[in-house]
Amino acid sequence: MKRKLSMALAVTMVASMVSGTGAISVLAEDAKTHEGETLKVAAIETAYGADMWTQVCDAFTELTGAAVELTTDKNLEDVIGASMKSGDYPDVVHLATGRPAALTETLIKEDGLENITDVFDMTVPGEDVKVGDKIAGGFTESSLTNPYGDGENYLAPMFYSPCGLFYNAGLFAEKGWEVPTTWDEMWALGDKAAEEGIALFSYPTTGYFDAFFYSMLYEAGGSEFFDKATNYEEGIWDTEEAKTVFDIITKLASYTEKSVPSNANNDNYLKNQQLILDNKALFMPNGNWVIGEMADAPRADGFEWGFMALPAITDGGDRYSFAWFEQMWIPAAAENIDLAKEFVAFMYSDTAADIFAQSGAVQPLLGFADTLEGDSKLYYSIYDDGAKVALGAFATTDAVEGVSFADTVFGTVNSLVSGDKTEEEWIEAIKADSDQLRAALK
Amino acid sequence: MKKGHRRTGFVATCIVPATLLFIVFMIIPTFNVFKMSLYKWGGYSNKKKFVGLDNFQKLLGDTKFLQSFQNTLLLIVIVTVITMSMALIFAAILSREKIRGQNIFRVVFYIPNILSVVIISAIFSAIYDANNGMLNSLLSLFGKGDNPVYWLGDQKIVIFSLAGAMVWQAIGYYMVMYMASMASVPETLYESSALDGATRLQQFFQITLPLIWTNIRTTLTFFIISSINLSFLFVKAMTSGGPDGSTEVFLSYMYKQAYTNSSYGYGMAVGVVVFVFSFGLSAIVNLLTKREPIDL
Repeated sequence: MKRKLSMALAVTMVASMVSGTGAISVLAEDAKTHEGETLKVAAIETAYGADMWTQVCDAFTELTGAAVELTTDKNLEDVIGASMKSGDYPDVVHLATGRPAALTETLIKEDGLENITDVFDMTVPGEDVKVGDKIAGGFTESSLTNPYGDGENYLAPMFYSPCGLFYNAGLFAEKGWEVPTTWDEMWALGDKAAEEGIALFSYPTTGYFDAFFYSMLYEAGGSEFFDKATNYEEGIWDTEEAKTVFDIITKLASYTEKSVPSNANNDNYLKNQQLILDNKALFMPNGNWVIGEMADAPRADGFEWGFMALPAITDGGDRYSFAWFEQMWIPAAAENIDLAKEFVAFMYSDTAADIFAQSGAVQPLLGFADTLEGDSKLYYSIYDDGAKVALGAFATTDAVEGVSFADTVFGTVNSLVSGDKTEEEWIEAIKADSDQLRAALK
Repeated sequence: MKKGHRRTGFVATCIVPATLLFIVFMIIPTFNVFKMSLYKWGGYSNKKKFVGLDNFQKLLGDTKFLQSFQNTLLLIVIVTVITMSMALIFAAILSREKIRGQNIFRVVFYIPNILSVVIISAIFSAIYDANNGMLNSLLSLFGKGDNPVYWLGDQKIVIFSLAGAMVWQAIGYYMVMYMASMASVPETLYESSALDGATRLQQFFQITLPLIWTNIRTTLTFFIISSINLSFLFVKAMTSGGPDGSTEVFLSYMYKQAYTNSSYGYGMAVGVVVFVFSFGLSAIVNLLTKREPIDL
C-alpha cells in the first residue's frame, strides 16, 4: 500500500513537472513546513467585508500548513485592545493609522512594532519573486511604512485608494462647464456656480483634509518641502510655499457651503457628501470608497461620479492625488514573529491579491492596477493621466500631552468656514504646536 | 452570645458578595485611574514611565482642557436649572391640576427616557439640520428663511443646542420622580390652605416644594453626576466635540487624549480631575441645599 502510494506520488510529481501545471502544488507541498503552528491574525473589517480575510487565511493555511486564528471586527481596537493591555498580542494586525482609537499610532510612538524590513527581501510564499520587487515604488519609503525615517520598515502597505476631488460629471456636462485644472480656474468656476446657487466646495469632515493638505504641500513645494513640513522644520510655516497652501485653503473655506461645519462629524458627514449628489456643492475631497458609501443615496437626474486630482497652483504646474493606504504590522511583543513575517509576505502573492481584489481591495502591486476593470480602473488610472502620487504623513513623535496636530491643522478648517478663526490665528496655532512636536520627534 | 454570633455571621454573608464586587469593580479601577495619572503611557504597550504630577501640571496650562471644563460647567448649570424647574412645573401641573389626557402627557414626557441617546441624537440632528431641519423650517414661517441658523455649526450656539437635547431627554424621568413624591403630600394641607385663601402658586412654593425638598436634593446630586456622563454621550453622537472643539466636554476630551492622542496617562489625569470635581460639586450642592426636614 505504502509503495503504491509513493509510486503514485512520484508519477504525479514527474507528470506535473513535465506538464508544468502542478508546479504550485508541488511548491505548496514543499512549503508546508509550519504544520502544527498557530498564527493569530487580527484584521479590521471595513467596507471590503470580512470574507476576504477568511479566504486569505485559508489560502495561507493550505500553503504553509499553519493554522490561522482570525479575528475581524469593525471596531477591532475594542476586541484586541483589552487583551493587548494585559500582554496578549496578536501576531499580525491589519489596522490603518488615522482611526479615533489610534492603536497603531500609539504602538508606533511607543516602539511597539516589529521591524519588518527583511520581509521585503523575502520570497513571496508559493512564488519565486521577492516581496519588495512586487510593491510599487514609493510605498515602502513613505513615512506611513517607515515611521521613524531611518530607512527601516515597521508597517507594510496594504489596500490603497487614490484621494482627490469628487464631483458630479453629469452636472458639468449639463451646464457646459469645464472641469478646472488650476486653482484660479477653480475660483472662477466658484463665482459662476454661486450665481446659480451652487457652492463650490463641501467636505465630509475636516479629517478629509489630511490627504488634501498633504497633496497641497507637494503641489506648493515638491517632495523636499513636504518632508520639511511634515518633520516640523523650524520656520517652515513662514515660507512662501506654506503661505500659498494656507491662502488656498482659507479661500476655499470662503467658497464652502455654509452648513458643512454643522454636519462635519462622524454621525452626520453623509449629509455633506449628499450635497454633491444634490447639486448643492460642486467638489468634495474623498477617496473612492465614497461610491460604495453613497450607493443607495438619492441623487440628481443625470448624476455621474467624476474624480480628479487637486488643481495645480500655477498653469501647467504639478497636480497631485494622495494615495491613502492601510497598513499591516507585527507587534514587537508577538509570539510567532517568523511565521507572522511569512504571512505578511504572503499578502503580496497573486493568490492573496486576487482574493482581495474580488472584494474591491487593491494593493499597491506593480502593474496590478492595469488588470482592473470598470469603475475601479477609472480611479486607479488617475496616476496614468498625469497626476503625481502624494504619499506620507506628519512625522512620528513621542506623545505630546494636549497637542493634537490633526485637530489644529485640519479641525480648524471648520472655524475658517464659519469665520470663528482667521488665517493668522490658524497659522499661529500650527506654529505653536509644531514647536512642541519638533522637540518630541522620534 | 450565640445568637449575636449567628447574627454577625448572617450580616457578613450578606455584605461580603456586594463588598467584593464593589472592591473589584469600583475601588480597584478608581485606584488604577489615580495610579495611571502619574505615568506617561500610551495605553497599549508595556512602556510606562513614572512622571509624578507632570500630567496635572500640563493640564493647568492646557487651553483645550480649560475649554472643555468651561463647556461642562455651562452644560451642568443650564441643563440642571432648566430640567429641574421644568420637571417640577410639569409634575405640579400633572399631579395637582385636572387636565384632559393627563395620562397621555405622562407617557409622552417619559418616552425620551426609554430611548437610547444615539436615537435622541439622531432625532435632534434632524431637528437642528440647517437645510431641511424642523427648527429652521419653523423659523422660515416667520420670515427668517434667508439666513438659516446653524444650530450645530455656529460655535456660539452649538453648546445650547446640545443642552436642548439633554433637557428633552431628562425631563420625563425627573417629572415622574417628583410626581411620585408630590402624591405623598397630604391633600388636607392644600384644602386648608385654600380655605385660608392661598393661591396655587403659594401652595406650590409653600407646601409642595418644602415637602418634597429631600427628594429634590437627592435627584439634584444624581442629576449633576449623570449630566457629566450624558454630555459625553450626546457630544459623541451629535458633534464629535466639534466644530473645532467647541463642544468638547470633560469626558470627550479625556477620551481624545487617552486614545486618539496616545496619552493614556494624561487622559487618566483628566479622569482624576473629573472625579474630584464631581465629588466636590456634589458636596457643595448637598451643603447649599441643606434644610431642616419637615415632619408632618
